[in-house]
Amino acid sequence: MNVKVLSIFCLFLVITPFYLGAQESQIRLLNPSLELRVNQRIQLEAEVLSAEGEMLPDTVVFFSRARRSLVVSREGELQAIKPGIHTISAMTLGTDRIRQDFEVMVLFPPITRVDWEQASHTFYTGTTLDLAFEVRDSLDAVRSIDDLIISSSNQSIFSVNEFNQLSLHAAGIAQLNVLAGTELFSWPVEVVENKAASMSLAVTNSSSEAIKTGDVLHFTASVMELNGKPLANMPVQYSFVAYPDDQLGQGSSAQIAQDGRFVANHPGKYAIIARSGAIQASMNITVEPRKVRRSLEVVGKGIVPDVKTSDLWVWEGVDGRDYAITGTWGARGEAFLWDVTDPSNIHTIDTVQVDARTVNDVKVSEDGTIAVITREGASNRKNGIIILDVTKPSETTILSEYTDGLTGGVHNTFIYENHVYAVNNGRKYDIINIEDPRNPYTVGVFELDTPGHSIHDVWIEDGIAYSSNWGDGVVVVDVGSTNSADMPGAGGSPDNPTPLGSYSYPSGWNHAAFPFKSKSTGKFYVAAGDEAFPYGLDTQGPNRAAGWIHFIEFDGWDNPDEVARYQVPEAGSHNYWIENDVMYAAFYNGGLRVVDVSGDLMGDLYEQGREIALFLPSDPNAAIPNSTFTWGPQPYKGLIFLSDWNSGIWAVKLGEVQN
Amino acid sequence: MNTNQSIPLSMLFPAIMGLLMHSALLLVPFSLSLNAQVYQVYVAAESDDVVQRVSFDANTNQGWVDATINVGKLPTETEGPHGLTLSPDKKHWFVTIAHGNPYGYLAKYSTETHELMGTVDLGLFPASMEISEFTGLLYVVNFNLHGEMEPSTMMIVDPETMDLVAELPTGIMPHGTRMNSTGRKTYHVSMMSDELLEVDTYGFKIARRLALAPNQVTETTTEETGVEDLKELLNMDQSSGSRMGWMKEMNNQSASSEQHSHSSSTKTGHDSDVDALEHIEHKAHMHDAASQIKPTWADPHPNDAFVYVAGNGSDELIEIDVKKWAITRRIPTGKAPYNLEVSTNGKWLVSSLKGAAATSVVDLSTGEELAQIANSRRVSHGVAISSDSKYAFISVEGIGGEAGSVDVISLETLERVAVVETGKQAGGISFFTLIE
Repeated sequence: MNVKVLSIFCLFLVITPFYLGAQESQIRLLNPSLELRVNQRIQLEAEVLSAEGEMLPDTVVFFSRARRSLVVSREGELQAIKPGIHTISAMTLGTDRIRQDFEVMVLFPPITRVDWEQASHTFYTGTTLDLAFEVRDSLDAVRSIDDLIISSSNQSIFSVNEFNQLSLHAAGIAQLNVLAGTELFSWPVEVVENKAASMSLAVTNSSSEAIKTGDVLHFTASVMELNGKPLANMPVQYSFVAYPDDQLGQGSSAQIAQDGRFVANHPGKYAIIARSGAIQASMNITVEPRKVRRSLEVVGKGIVPDVKTSDLWVWEGVDGRDYAITGTWGARGEAFLWDVTDPSNIHTIDTVQVDARTVNDVKVSEDGTIAVITREGASNRKNGIIILDVTKPSETTILSEYTDGLTGGVHNTFIYENHVYAVNNGRKYDIINIEDPRNPYTVGVFELDTPGHSIHDVWIEDGIAYSSNWGDGVVVVDVGSTNSADMPGAGGSPDNPTPLGSYSYPSGWNHAAFPFKSKSTGKFYVAAGDEAFPYGLDTQGPNRAAGWIHFIEFDGWDNPDEVARYQVPEAGSHNYWIENDVMYAAFYNGGLRVVDVSGDLMGDLYEQGREIALFLPSDPNAAIPNSTFTWGPQPYKGLIFLSDWNSGIWAVKLGEVQN
Repeated sequence: MNTNQSIPLSMLFPAIMGLLMHSALLLVPFSLSLNAQVYQVYVAAESDDVVQRVSFDANTNQGWVDATINVGKLPTETEGPHGLTLSPDKKHWFVTIAHGNPYGYLAKYSTETHELMGTVDLGLFPASMEISEFTGLLYVVNFNLHGEMEPSTMMIVDPETMDLVAELPTGIMPHGTRMNSTGRKTYHVSMMSDELLEVDTYGFKIARRLALAPNQVTETTTEETGVEDLKELLNMDQSSGSRMGWMKEMNNQSASSEQHSHSSSTKTGHDSDVDALEHIEHKAHMHDAASQIKPTWADPHPNDAFVYVAGNGSDELIEIDVKKWAITRRIPTGKAPYNLEVSTNGKWLVSSLKGAAATSVVDLSTGEELAQIANSRRVSHGVAISSDSKYAFISVEGIGGEAGSVDVISLETLERVAVVETGKQAGGISFFTLIE
């Protein structure tokens, strides 16, 4: 056989299956259009055709691939619920099923309301304004400004650009026209002569001390007429020119908000500029390095060689000695008791083993007598919590096992005023009275009502519970608020937990929450931490995590504002603790980070030189040798204790300033 | 010019590839015939968040784990892979992730690459499932193991696109879903209302219920709940994206909990949902009496004439005549039968005895228990029987830090012939293939 013949034969072999595959039966929809209005119903009509185009007797059934947006019965009665392009599937039954997808267009309802939020402003020639509208359709759903076509009736008086900014050119009256579908909305805009003659720029929170990186300055610009009279509603744009000390490929060196707040990430000289129309003012400032870096020394460690370590708690025992308890992960259901009185000689004094695979969380009561450990992976699938008597930690005893309603597993707990707050099966937290720790009983439950809600952790301070709820973010609940709480409560109690406020963010990674009042400013924040593993998790080797800590300023429970973040580029956050304006944060593969969170907080704290110290625990004899995966820290009596998933428990101490 | 050399390379290359492909296809059966007789199952390790493929060589009685696949989305939390099934064409395996966040979900993987192909959210603690060869759809029950004693749901999923197609209310703690040979009916049990339920896979509805406890009355056998009820609910609450379980939770909140839940302030507008749910509950005819049988699994005989149920609380296997829709035999067995399966040849009924750490083999022709074979460790869980009816593969959970296992039992010698250690808490198990 020559090559040509062989090649043609082989080509036949390759092409044949594709050719045969192309001859397929199909479902054909007979409806002339699959375009519907919201709530419109139509009956789908379909026929089945053979590969040769002959009609087949098969029955076609339908189902929706977006059943929240488009409902279809098996017989093809279709009802549009939400606007958008959705897919329905049609198929025949039996072993030789034919299946085809069809797109259905549900039209957006008409926009019926457009409110221009700046309609009552005074408009000055030569200035620029960011337009803001509230847009709603006939179903009262909020619609985007992008659905509008915005224009001016007289371009010589004012114009609108592609960024939806209003540029005011000359005095006079013209119409601002907004076309929403076929509906036209219109407002008269009177542009008056800009009499601004001067502008002043001042720092309202100036200090006699040198400005350092991370310090937030508040600039305020005032615009005045020639006679010195202030002009109201004058739009002001703030900007800066940076001359950082390090100009070798330096990235963003500062940040300025349009309310006048400025923070420098890097030292250098900055010119702050305020502009309104044709006039402007500027101020030069010099920013110095923050110089908070301190040395850190390892005082002691307790290496756990064969299982992974989870959370820790350190406390002063009733005998005046210092103790720690650590949990274990994916192992034999153990919790280890440690004597840490001499932190250079951390050693185990007892082990509690329960029917579980993971003892994720460990907490000890304020009086040092009761510990609570959590169970996951119990062989009888009744997980719950175990209450321990740790009056004498070297002879720890189990007081009770409490599983009532908690069988799905408890991942985290908190002990507060004779109650255990137990995160129950990732859905809610149960509030359990432990006045008699041998006979605990549930007195209350808090659960969100959002679709698919879930919870990871809860922390109590001054009678207020701060829970971290993944996509639902931080939720603040009054469980018996005290006078020392930073903001008023709502009369809640353990048997009547009462919501106060919440804050969520788009990633849905909220894993921990820690409330704190800034010693230096008096402002109240909740630090909301992420947990994310975009690279997966290898339980037998080194790992990497992602995510950061969000700083949310609460100026009233219903007024949260995310103002800053601490993000380690190469690692991800886990548990953390804030005390005296210093944050001790476990960043998994990024180890322990000690961070200065004093003063106002704005922007990326990592970039601002606020990191005081960094420690990467690892040990050749650890469960995962020579690899860092720090779980949680706790500042205690001038030391920092931390648990590391790979290696166990560590005690470290901050040293001298290193600048 | 030499003609033979004038063939363009672009033609020659696919031609040679085609020849190689065909040659390879011809060689595969030949090469396999030289190998041992190897059986493969997939097993889920619920406390290690892995699914493993276990191979067993019948010629050497040696078994091994030949693949370990990490599953779940939250690596530092135990999400609990629970139920396993394979697509009829064996190209994909599916696992239910029970704990989720907090709702569980279904994940689809390639059997060739073990690559994750897609997920779809399900309800609370989704458990057992199978795919109907008639509709091509996957039917999975939400066990809701740790929730309130309330009716749960079966969810119907398009396994090709991983879209949720329908959701129908069923019993309290439904479990043990298995399909009949035609794929037109699927059976599961309601553990806390002592019922066997038959689902019409085409009609998307509960076709029949059967009370399993002695003297228990079956209140409903026809005109059951189905997708139309769900459609009503969807029409009522399209904006919330809610699901049955969620609405049920809202409905069940006590007066005291309303005082402390967000729902107290946002509950308006859901009254109609609650009414609808009560209507469904009324139709579901749940029994208030304490469960006696605690059925945990149902499996139809390959001839479709009988369904067998594991009476976990009554230590018995129950045979139901499908045509008569009546119990025909109660076969006493060891402590706490949990999962069961009828061998493909229809001769044996193999059940895991969770409380006895053993596997029971019953001769279905006589109802006689042929053997109780000790498992390698405590907490026996799942049963998967090879396609040639020669071996039963039993997943055994173990306790605490102990490894789980797949115990291989010869149905010919009625002996345990191999033990393969797996991840912790081995549970869901499904037979994959026999390589001969």
